[in-house]
Amino acid sequence: MFSSYSYVLLAGIIFVCMLIPLSILSEFLFIEPLFVIHVIEDRAFGFTLLVAISFMSAVVIPMNIYRIRTLQKSTTKIGGSLLGSIIGASAGICSCGPIGFSIISTFGTVAGTATAFLTYYEIPLRLVSLGLLCLVYYTTAKSISIECKIQ
Amino acid sequence: MDAKTIIVAGTFVGIVLIVVTLFTSFQSGWDNNPGGMGMKTESTINLENGSPALGSESAPITIVEFGDYQCESCYYWFHNTRSTIIDNYIETGKAKLVFVDLPFLGRDSITAAQASYCAEDQGKYWEYHTMLYTFQDGAPDSGWANQDRLNSFAFTLEMNMDEFNDCMDSSKYKIRVKANYNEAVKQGAQSTPTFIIISSDGTTKKFAGAQPYSVFAATIESML
Repeated sequence: MFSSYSYVLLAGIIFVCMLIPLSILSEFLFIEPLFVIHVIEDRAFGFTLLVAISFMSAVVIPMNIYRIRTLQKSTTKIGGSLLGSIIGASAGICSCGPIGFSIISTFGTVAGTATAFLTYYEIPLRLVSLGLLCLVYYTTAKSISIECKIQ
Repeated sequence: MDAKTIIVAGTFVGIVLIVVTLFTSFQSGWDNNPGGMGMKTESTINLENGSPALGSESAPITIVEFGDYQCESCYYWFHNTRSTIIDNYIETGKAKLVFVDLPFLGRDSITAAQASYCAEDQGKYWEYHTMLYTFQDGAPDSGWANQDRLNSFAFTLEMNMDEFNDCMDSSKYKIRVKANYNEAVKQGAQSTPTFIIISSDGTTKKFAGAQPYSVFAATIESML
């Protein structure tokens, strides 16, 4: 399916559209006053996981769109891939950042606990997300391989 | 769904995500600062409730940090960027640093800020500030900055504990901390750390996040 230009383009768009906003929200990428990427040693693993999640989302989501569109199969797996992407995207969004500030200012202590959870369990949540995306990749690839042979 | 639809939908989702992110990044500047994030404006910042200045009072540049003692990004900035700024700009007399509390992450953020001013009463504000960012450990309100720990930091700094405890019990700096919070919000700070660099002619530049030394150096040099 990635021999098709449109799916490669879609994968590229998903990768860029996940990596850039999430890097900004997780404070790996700054655009004001200068455009600068800043990954300190303590957070290098978190950034690596972010890149991996963006890459896996960019692979898995187009695969599922292809599966649904071409093979007319159910949408269960794309739900799994979107869930994996969302968990990976929300983990590590800094509670000190503007989103955390807005949520805590509006909803108070409970929201503070939730955003702190996303910040302080960034690595385990991203690992779970990556695991989920890998699982969806494996089952989708297997499914496409079998279903294509049958058809 | 054909290929064209997929591309159009993907592009649309991407654009929406980028716009939302950029809007979130800049909304504090747009909402509260006529100059916006990163733009130069005339300084109207009230620093009288903030920390004592670190560095020479006559330094031409003032770096204002809006921070929370429980903020992880502030911790990273403190340990990765601040010391180089102190070496190159504060100790050379080119800049001074003022810390203004923006305690929003939990109840211990507020008491930690109050404790820092109780330490100031004994001439140890910056030592206490350093102690808090050195021992920040775990999620907000997880206990690392509870009353016992705040007392132990004061004890470690060989402060007068009776005086410190009286200060904390009286909550005499509660209003000061609240005033700092209000000033931070008024200046458009909606995340920590947020920095405002003020030049000698009163113009300012604001940016948010635990940004690297190179950003501070470029900004300060352009304003000297």
